[in-house]
Amino acid sequence: MEEDDLILRSKEGDLDAFNRLVEKYQRQVYNLALRMLGKAPAAEDATQEALLSAFRGIGGFRGGSFRAWLLRITANACRDQMRFWRRRPAVSLDALVIEPEADRGTQSPEDYALSRELGDEIAKALATLPVDQRQAVILYDIEGLSYEEIAQVMNSSLGTVRSRLSRGRVRLRLYLGPRMELLP
Amino acid sequence: MFKPKSECQQVKNLLSPFIDHQLTSSEQGLVEAHLERCEACQRELESLRAVVNLVHRVPLVSPPRSFTIAEAVPKRRAAPVAVFSAATAVAVLFLAFFFVSDALNLFASEVPVAEQFREDAVMLEGAPDVAGAGYETVENWPFWQLEVAFSALVVILAAMTLIWWLKRRKAAERGFK
Repeated sequence: MEEDDLILRSKEGDLDAFNRLVEKYQRQVYNLALRMLGKAPAAEDATQEALLSAFRGIGGFRGGSFRAWLLRITANACRDQMRFWRRRPAVSLDALVIEPEADRGTQSPEDYALSRELGDEIAKALATLPVDQRQAVILYDIEGLSYEEIAQVMNSSLGTVRSRLSRGRVRLRLYLGPRMELLP
Repeated sequence: MFKPKSECQQVKNLLSPFIDHQLTSSEQGLVEAHLERCEACQRELESLRAVVNLVHRVPLVSPPRSFTIAEAVPKRRAAPVAVFSAATAVAVLFLAFFFVSDALNLFASEVPVAEQFREDAVMLEGAPDVAGAGYETVENWPFWQLEVAFSALVVILAAMTLIWWLKRRKAAERGFK
C-alpha cells in the first residue's frame, strides 16, 4: 500500500495503517533520538512519545514529506527530554554519553567492535555540538535526509541548514581531528 | 594581503556545502578557483571531507523493540481554551452588568428617611433642600460583594484560558497544526 493511502487511513483512525508507517520509520526516529539524547532508555521514551504524538496529531498533517514531519515531532520530543533533565540536576547532561549499539546479528565480532568504537567517538563528538548543529549533522550525515527535508524538520531556511551543518562539521573536526588516526 | 585572507575565510565557510554539492554555480566557481591556488584551503577541504566520510560510516542502530502502538490511544482532547474563554466572557458580562447597575442604581429603591434623621439634617446643614429630602436610596442587591467575587472569577478564568492557550500553541509548534 502506498504511503499516501496509509496516511489517509491513519487520519481516519486506522491504527494498523499507522503502525505500517511506524514500522517503516521507527528506525530513523529511534536513531535520531539516540544520537540527540545519547542514552538508549531516553531515546526509547522519546521515540514512543513522538510516535504517539504523531498518531494523535496526524489529522493536522498537511502533506509534504511525512518523514520530515515525523522527525520534526521526534526532535521536539528530544528537546522535551533535554529540558526534563536540565530541571533535574541529579542527572548530568555530561553523563549522557551515547551508548553505541550496532547490529550484532549482521556483523562479525571484529566489525562490531570497530563500529562500536567509531560510534562511541562520534557520539562523544556529537555531544559537544549545540543542539541545532547536532540535529543538522545527524539528519544529513547519519540519517541521509536532503537539505530540503532538514529545512522542514527544523522549520528553517535552506541557508540556515547549510550554515548549521557547516558549523557542526567544523566543530566535529575540532574534536575528531586529533583522534582520526586512531579511529577504525 | 587582506583580500586573500578574506577570500580564504569565505571559502572555508563554503567547504561543507561544497562537499555536498549544495553551492550555487557562482559559489562553486569561486571555491574551485580558490582551491586551485590555495593549499591551505585544500588541506582544510580534505580534513573536513575525512570527518564527513567518517560520520557517514556510522551505522544506523536497530531499535531495541518495536514501537508499533498496541492499542488505540484516545485522540487528543480538544484543548478547553474555548470553554474557558467562553466562561471568561460570560463572567466579564456579568461583572459589567453589576458595575453599570451599581453606578446607575438600577436595582435600588427609595425609602422614606426617618423623621428624626430629617430634623438632624436640617439642624446640621441648614439647607432647605436637605430638609426636603424625605427619601434615601437603598441597594437591594449586594453589588459590592458581587463585583469582588466576579472580578476574582474573571481573573481566574482568564488565567486558565491563557494557560491552555499556551499549551495548545506549544503542541502546535510540535507539528500538530
